Amino acid sequence: MLVAGVDVGARNISVVVFRDDKVISSVLLTSGGEGTAASRVALAAALEKTGLEPTDLQAVVATGCGGESVTLAQRQSAEVVCQAKGAYFLFPSVRTVLNLGAESSRAIRVGDTGRVEAFAKNDKCAAGSGLFLETMAKVLEVPLEEMGELSLQAEGFEEVSGICAVFAESEVISHIHRGVPKDRILAGLHKAVVGRIQEVLAKVGVRKDVVVTGGVGRNRAIVKELADKIGQSIIVPPEPQLVGALGAALIARDLAAKSRQ
Amino acid sequence: MMDEFRQSRLNRHQAAIRWKEDNKSQVIGTLCCCVPEEIIHAAGMLPVRMLGAHEETTEADLHFPTNLCPYCKSTFDQALKGKYDYLDGLVVPNVCNMIKAMYGFSKLLLNIPFVYFLEVPQRLSPNGVSFFTEELVRFKESLEKFSGREITGEALRHSIKVYNDNRLLLKRVYELRRRSPPAVSGTEAQEIVISSMLMPKELHNWLLEQFLEWVQGRDDPPQAGVRLFLSASVLDDTDFVQLIEECGGNIVADDMPMGSRYFSGAVTQNRNPFQALADRYLNKVACPRKMLPDERMAFADRMMRGAKVQGAIIHNMRACDPHLYEYPLLKAKLESEGRPVLFFRGEETETERPQQKADIEAFIEMLGTQTE
Amino acid sequence: MVTSTSARKALQTTLEVPTLRRKYYAQTLDDSKKGKKVAWCSNNIPSEILDAMDVTAVFLENYATVIAAKKLASAYCVAGEKVGFSPDVCGYARMLMGYILARNEVPEAPYGGLAKPDFLLVNSYSCDSRLGWFSAMSRTLNIPLHVHDAPHQPDGACDLAHYAAYTEGELRSLVAFLEEQTGTKFNPERLRQRLALSRQTSNIMYEINELRKAVPCPMGSADMFTAVWPSMYMAGTKECEDFYHRLRTEVEERIAKKIGVVPEEKFRLMWSGIPFWYNMGLLNYVEDFGGVVVVEGFYRSRERRLPVQDDDPIRDMALSSTRQRGWTASIASSIDDLLDAVKEYHIDGVVLSFNPSCRLSYVSQGELQRAVEDRGVATLGLECDMADERTYSEGQVKTRLDAFVERLLAKK
Repeated sequence: MLVAGVDVGARNISVVVFRDDKVISSVLLTSGGEGTAASRVALAAALEKTGLEPTDLQAVVATGCGGESVTLAQRQSAEVVCQAKGAYFLFPSVRTVLNLGAESSRAIRVGDTGRVEAFAKNDKCAAGSGLFLETMAKVLEVPLEEMGELSLQAEGFEEVSGICAVFAESEVISHIHRGVPKDRILAGLHKAVVGRIQEVLAKVGVRKDVVVTGGVGRNRAIVKELADKIGQSIIVPPEPQLVGALGAALIARDLAAKSRQ
Repeated sequence: MMDEFRQSRLNRHQAAIRWKEDNKSQVIGTLCCCVPEEIIHAAGMLPVRMLGAHEETTEADLHFPTNLCPYCKSTFDQALKGKYDYLDGLVVPNVCNMIKAMYGFSKLLLNIPFVYFLEVPQRLSPNGVSFFTEELVRFKESLEKFSGREITGEALRHSIKVYNDNRLLLKRVYELRRRSPPAVSGTEAQEIVISSMLMPKELHNWLLEQFLEWVQGRDDPPQAGVRLFLSASVLDDTDFVQLIEECGGNIVADDMPMGSRYFSGAVTQNRNPFQALADRYLNKVACPRKMLPDERMAFADRMMRGAKVQGAIIHNMRACDPHLYEYPLLKAKLESEGRPVLFFRGEETETERPQQKADIEAFIEMLGTQTE
Repeated sequence: MVTSTSARKALQTTLEVPTLRRKYYAQTLDDSKKGKKVAWCSNNIPSEILDAMDVTAVFLENYATVIAAKKLASAYCVAGEKVGFSPDVCGYARMLMGYILARNEVPEAPYGGLAKPDFLLVNSYSCDSRLGWFSAMSRTLNIPLHVHDAPHQPDGACDLAHYAAYTEGELRSLVAFLEEQTGTKFNPERLRQRLALSRQTSNIMYEINELRKAVPCPMGSADMFTAVWPSMYMAGTKECEDFYHRLRTEVEERIAKKIGVVPEEKFRLMWSGIPFWYNMGLLNYVEDFGGVVVVEGFYRSRERRLPVQDDDPIRDMALSSTRQRGWTASIASSIDDLLDAVKEYHIDGVVLSFNPSCRLSYVSQGELQRAVEDRGVATLGLECDMADERTYSEGQVKTRLDAFVERLLAKK
């Protein structure tokens, strides 16, 4: 049985191809342009590695804010459902999923059988999201991938307002002008971002095990600060940005199995 | 059949103007369902609930800062834009800080001839009922002075009967929502209740009788979906409920002013109609402004009884203190009963729709998988 | 930029307040230990009645401002928000709920914390948002709550019999509740004495506020926001009345000697709305430029108190309350009051605080600002929460104040 899951996020498109019980291919692309074309490209890229064709797929499920653009998909599935499913597949002990994506942060409470029990997301504010961190990386002239490591080197931190992205940005700029070392500013910035993430988490509560997914999960400083703050160790999958697509693929698998019956 | 109800809301301003011309009488606006409309009705006037609109509050923004009740702001904005120029009067009850402020602002900035502040006690007590009884007499006298017409005891008792009839009919409509699948959708039910606040009660009663007959043999019943309870502060149109139902939910029960709270609880046919009105409007309207959370939770229970509710959606306007303070309690209660809760705090604007849709879809999918 | 939480005071008498306050809170803890009944109250609960019945009154909103002044508010607010209180609701409410529910997570409470309450008293008069807050506390602490109501009266004084009767009924219910809780009988004479004192105190304060119209300004808002404190929480006591006697004397002396808050007054400001309790130093900022925040709108009594209305002190309170209104005026009279003050205090500019979590004051600020600008008087609106320092951006406020000061100096 061959199925695929496609996650069209604000920043990236990810595809996971599933055969029977295993992931056989996956792809992560920055969404170059228009959704439909980009998702077709991503799907083709994922299949290319396997030597299979889109017509070989028995079911495709799409998720993410741009999921509707995936014309090949039989069904749309909600992001929280896919995130939970994907995380549970990888770590059956998961009870809290924290999806830290480009545009938003979501907290999901997962039951013992992997079903979503509750979810919450941050309410309109950019601070705490991947795009915000990207902007800050540009302001500080630090490559995005190095932000986390650099901030971990700092001794102490320079306070950055946690309330609003606009305030935070102007504060960071004023710190730069005052000659504050970048690592200290980054440390303060990461603390502020974690503060916002904690607010979302508080809405569903923390139950172990906690799994972080999404691009921001690759920032070691954020994960470490968050783990310290909630007093709980955090699991980050090797490819945190693929979890949504994985969950969608699992739902596609269930769909295909049902239609066989 | 639903078209009559829906149109009464969409064409409410033209309808009110036409009513004025046809009846040579006055239209009185209200801002909350704790205003005893029966008295206005007995004066031969038409009480209408003021409603906002989904548009930028460009006029109101010149006078009010941002973090305020969107319902009041939007309603006031409509008035500033001239949509309510036909209003002869406005009754502002003593319910919450924002609505109280509307009294002074209406007098300052609008040209409504009769603006009346109704002192509604904020504590329930025998003292409060007797005070409110006298206040209602004073209100009646003010209306008499304004209109130049007498409001007889007989007229008032008749109006109370007409309103009680309406309440019973609406209750029957609500009962039909408990069926599986519901015989009346949440959108239809809310549309019906809102139209009751806008048109002459006798006409609404007649339409309801027709509707209840028609619904027995309807060939387009709502599709079965995930059964939900909706608790909201003001939702002055059916867009939000419609969105939920388009996503595969059935709103089978509600706790909201533009819904169950408007008609729950009859006025007893008492020797003293003012006392009976005071009693009903103080004691039987389960609004959080009363700060009697046990009563409100009991009301929620009554609304959900027999409706087989799977989950709940709570929508509170930003800055709505009475609802926001009781939210943690309502949420805890619903969750302890095994009903997941989806919470929205918002303004009810178009820009919120895509996010709301995504969350509602996720919630419904989540509840749907639990029944597999 | 002055970032101090406390304002620099110009008067000696004002400096007595922190000691008075510390004593007051220490006394409440002591009372509690001695077995006196402790009531957590909202502002406007008539402390004279509580005092006459030996009930210790702790006014929560004042304690919230103390927490805010020590810049602990945001920690408390976060704790309150964690248990479900929306960031929309009153900052004081969120803070106190955080204090109650998350004692272990919030920093050390000022003055050793609040005395443990036996019951709660909230009044709907002026602010009804607190009804929800007190209701939540009653559930959480599992202690009785008594709601004290009064007619709103947006048009001001009202002489209708049933208004006075209702108000009287509410006061008697309050007394009955206290009798039940304390097991003691209410003594009208004790109340009568306290009412006499608090009337006198109010009238002295009224006179002080009249004196502040002088040029140069002898006492500004930087002092008064602190100096108003005893009248709100110690009303009806001799100590309170004496304090205001001394304060008035000092103000009179300063006027006689022509001593102003600043040596050379260049412009005079008015502060409308609630100040930012975590940064009262803001009130002194303009002094460096020769400006003074002369007077405030929020806590100022606009007229003398009415004389005794009845021999029965409860009926006296009811009649006084319905016949003289301060806090619930509708927008038109608020505008008149503000414009009158601008004229009488020779005001050059008005600073209006827009406090999004205070539903009572916030709604009017926009229209008040318009009304003042229409009169040709400069205004500056500052939007921050009164207690939650997370909402305050120093850089922003400084920039806007600087521009405002420039505008005022250019006009002169």
